[in-house]
Amino acid sequence: MTLLEFASGPGLQWALWIFVFGITWRVVGAVFLLSRKDISKPRHTNTISAGLGAVWSRSSPARAFEKKIRFQHVTGYAWHFALFISVLFFAPHILFFESVLGFSWPHLPNTIILITAIVATAVLIALLIRRATHPVQRFISNADDYISIFVVLVPLVTGILAFTHFGARYETLLAVHLLSVEVMLIWFPFGKLMHMIMTIPARFQAGTAFGRRGVKA
Amino acid sequence: MRKDQNLGEYLRMQGVSRRGFLKFCSATASLMALPPSAVSQVAEALATARRPSVIWMSFQECTGCTESLTRSHAPTLESLIFDAISLDYHHTLQAAAGHGAEAAREAAMEENKGEYILVVDGSIPNGNNGYSTIAGISNHDMLIEAAENCFAIVAVGTCAAFGGLPNADPNPTGAVSVSEIIKDKPIINVSGCPPIPVVITGVLAHFLTFGTIPELDALGRPVAFFGQNIHDRCYRRPFYERGQFAETFDDEGARKGWCLYKLGCKGPTTYNACATLKWNQGTSFPIQSGHGCIGCSEPRFWDKGGFYDPISAGQWGSRDALLGAAAAGAALGVGSALAARARKKKAQAAEEI
Amino acid sequence: MNTEAMSLQDFRGKLREMSVDTPGRDLTDEDRVRRAKKAFAQKLNGHRAVDMDTCLQCGMCAEACHFYEATQDERYAPVYKFRPLRRFYRREMSPMRWFYRAFTRDITVADLKEWQHLVYDACTGCGRCDMICPMGIKISAAIRVMRHGLAGAGFVPSEMRIIRDEQRDKNTLFGVGAEQLRALVERLGAQGINVPLDREQADVMLLTTAIEVLLFPDAFAATAKILNKAGANWTIRSDAFEAANVGIITGDDPTMILAIKRIVEKASAIGAKTVLMPESGHAYQTLRWEGANEMGEPLSFDVISIPEFVAAEIKAGRLNLKTQTNGASVTYHDPCRLSRKGGVTQQPRDVLTAMGLEVRETASNRRENYCCGGGCGEFVLKSAADLRQKAFEIKKHEIDETGADAVVTGCSNCRVNLMIGADNSGWRTPVTSLVETVAANLAD
Ligand code: SF4
Ligand code: SF4
Ligand code: SF4
Ligand code: SF4
Repeated sequence: MTLLEFASGPGLQWALWIFVFGITWRVVGAVFLLSRKDISKPRHTNTISAGLGAVWSRSSPARAFEKKIRFQHVTGYAWHFALFISVLFFAPHILFFESVLGFSWPHLPNTIILITAIVATAVLIALLIRRATHPVQRFISNADDYISIFVVLVPLVTGILAFTHFGARYETLLAVHLLSVEVMLIWFPFGKLMHMIMTIPARFQAGTAFGRRGVKA
Repeated sequence: MRKDQNLGEYLRMQGVSRRGFLKFCSATASLMALPPSAVSQVAEALATARRPSVIWMSFQECTGCTESLTRSHAPTLESLIFDAISLDYHHTLQAAAGHGAEAAREAAMEENKGEYILVVDGSIPNGNNGYSTIAGISNHDMLIEAAENCFAIVAVGTCAAFGGLPNADPNPTGAVSVSEIIKDKPIINVSGCPPIPVVITGVLAHFLTFGTIPELDALGRPVAFFGQNIHDRCYRRPFYERGQFAETFDDEGARKGWCLYKLGCKGPTTYNACATLKWNQGTSFPIQSGHGCIGCSEPRFWDKGGFYDPISAGQWGSRDALLGAAAAGAALGVGSALAARARKKKAQAAEEI
Repeated sequence: MNTEAMSLQDFRGKLREMSVDTPGRDLTDEDRVRRAKKAFAQKLNGHRAVDMDTCLQCGMCAEACHFYEATQDERYAPVYKFRPLRRFYRREMSPMRWFYRAFTRDITVADLKEWQHLVYDACTGCGRCDMICPMGIKISAAIRVMRHGLAGAGFVPSEMRIIRDEQRDKNTLFGVGAEQLRALVERLGAQGINVPLDREQADVMLLTTAIEVLLFPDAFAATAKILNKAGANWTIRSDAFEAANVGIITGDDPTMILAIKRIVEKASAIGAKTVLMPESGHAYQTLRWEGANEMGEPLSFDVISIPEFVAAEIKAGRLNLKTQTNGASVTYHDPCRLSRKGGVTQQPRDVLTAMGLEVRETASNRRENYCCGGGCGEFVLKSAADLRQKAFEIKKHEIDETGADAVVTGCSNCRVNLMIGADNSGWRTPVTSLVETVAANLAD
């Protein structure tokens, strides 16, 4: 079995099993740790729409804060957009997803993907540098924070290398790229990459809690 | 043709002019990726080269490789080179049969001890030696015997080089490549299913010219021919970059000659000279004729997913397994949450001021 | 009005007296850690769990906290203030605890000691950080759980411990009990302000706080005048008037529940339909939002804050206010527990504009308002004096920027803090209360 065969066969399967297993474990485990129902008299009763409102409104900082966190705000958007475009609109990736989902969607030209991937990589490196140097971020960071950056950075870099056929043979680069994605998938449920799943419930619960008090979250 | 004739004499005898010969030499040089300045050197070497003795053995094969070499039209460079060697044994081509043929083989081996080149096509059944025999001798034994005193082995075709089709899962005959049996001789893998004829002759030309083994890649293939992948040399590459793909074999994209990646082309992971040398005297090659590369020059190309599955498709495993993983995760989640809630209850119940 | 009040200087002297470091409970280290964990376990729920699991460690919350802003000390990043809780959650309560335990350090007594400073001195529970977090994490709620853990472990700062014990054991605060209230009511009676004390039946039960009785009797008098003017059927009970809850401030459950219970039982007994909270943010928050949950059943009455009450009475036409025409401007300081934690932001502004005052907003206002710097009992802590003053400077700066003639607020704690801050820095902008402003503008 070649490296590529391992990466696109058993390696991928194991990574997916762990990925799915870990996510359900963590989500179900947190959800079942239910809170007691709040029986104080609500000021507003439409908490569902307040919850959904928070999912939306927390995507951008409140006016009083915008200036202070502009760097995170801008880099945050740049990073997530560039990443999602690179991941979701590169033709070979779509074929990868199609092989499990059974459907596909239009792709973007490779040149654009190359640009977004480079932007994503550059922004992530900038965020890594900030984490390592900004007094607060450096101080509060733990291994999870760095691991989570690295397991995402490596697939990006290997992806760009594989795309440009740079540094080694294509099949080796492709295999390494796949393996790095698998490492990311395996780490995903255990580290803070889980925010991809948890963001919506977390914001939603904040929205409902603030909403029933009549405060915009 | 006499054995002691050298190649130059032989070619003149065949009516090949000096000019034709030089043309042949420069073609050979460029084939071996030598600079133009090397042409005279090649000509010199080839003109005075002694015709090497070649013993050709066919094991578990389909004869496609031999066909590939011999079915070329009219007198070609390949056939010239092919004629230039002294093919002392080839049981498909030779007139002799049975004991006479075997005797010829033994005689040639004895006469050219340590100097003959052993060409093998087909894989060797290693499960049960009885699967393939010649004159009652198993392929395995014949290979060992023939390899013992050879100068080098050329494994022609993916079967001989890597096991090929007979080796495909579940490999009923236990087929293996030459290199899995012979460990102490130089082996040159000329893979392909079949290999490009020019590549076979190119390797023989290298022997004739330099008397040495050409530079090989990690899979034992001559770098001069297998150094670059199809994708990097493919004329459809601009469409790949632009994201223009044929979706089916008869759609607009297919008609316009767009990239075949989505239709399963294995060009990006396949190393061969198809896209540069092409087939049938440079007429065309599979991608040019509208079909993706199936990766025939790579080990185990039969077993690497479907020919029509894109390279980036993954083997995701069954949905049931994924559901099972989710169920296990959910169970663990519920269990851990219940345990945590019990702990919380206990803490709340504990009276302690 | 000028009801005799303790001077700010005397009150500050009183606070200084309290800050003698009395020995706390005598507990072994293991006991302390165990008890902290027990309190954490009690307070953790799905909500906090999702919060702990979602934090990005982005550090943005630091930018919202006045203590970090004032000092640039990274230890004051809100996310760091609940770090031991997160460790506990990861190691002992989270779904993946078996996995996390391998590389998450257990909490120690040294941690608890260190965090005493971070969660009592350096956090007023104002919840400004909650408003910036991109994940919607209720950081201040997690820090409150930290206070519970520290209280369980016996790490409540001594000043807070003293007033907590006082409230729990004597039902007084700063020495203010039934007697002191009665004396104040008498003094007000002499001024012609009728306070219906200890009635057995009333629709509205008013509460007050020791701070009001001591420092701001005028605010109490103003409330009484407003209630009388509006024609309310009201009372205040000398056995259950204290709105402040040192239990919730220190993180001590028994005291918190006891203090809530005193009010709830009395209000039910006299058949009150409304409990009117005095100008005290945390008191409102406690009864309004925690009361029912701590009692385990819905309350039989509504809990209403003064701004809500006044705004509603004006709207209903029961209260008429004089309209100023002198172009006076004020800025309104949103007490965090009324605004972002209570949803009472529009009413005070409506009341102020009804009096013809120009309301000039600070750059951060309403749900994003800066804390006064000394909420959640922080103002009694001597160890926090420097921090408090630095945080106050931010507030002061924002108020100065508005150019308003005065600051009005709806919480006597905020008022004390702003006054102490002003006292320290020679700041002259008057700090006043909403009820007093309203009472001064009652139309006949
Ligand atoms: S047809 Fe195949 S080899 Fe050619 S560019 Fe497309 S993927 Fe590459
Ligand atoms: S294009 Fe690919 S599959 Fe076709 S002959 Fe060449 S190497 Fe083999
Ligand atoms: S702002 Fe929210 S997500 Fe970011 S570090 Fe603070 S608590 Fe965590
Ligand atoms: S609640 Fe207020 S004081 Fe406490 S950390 Fe958050 S912003 Fe700072």
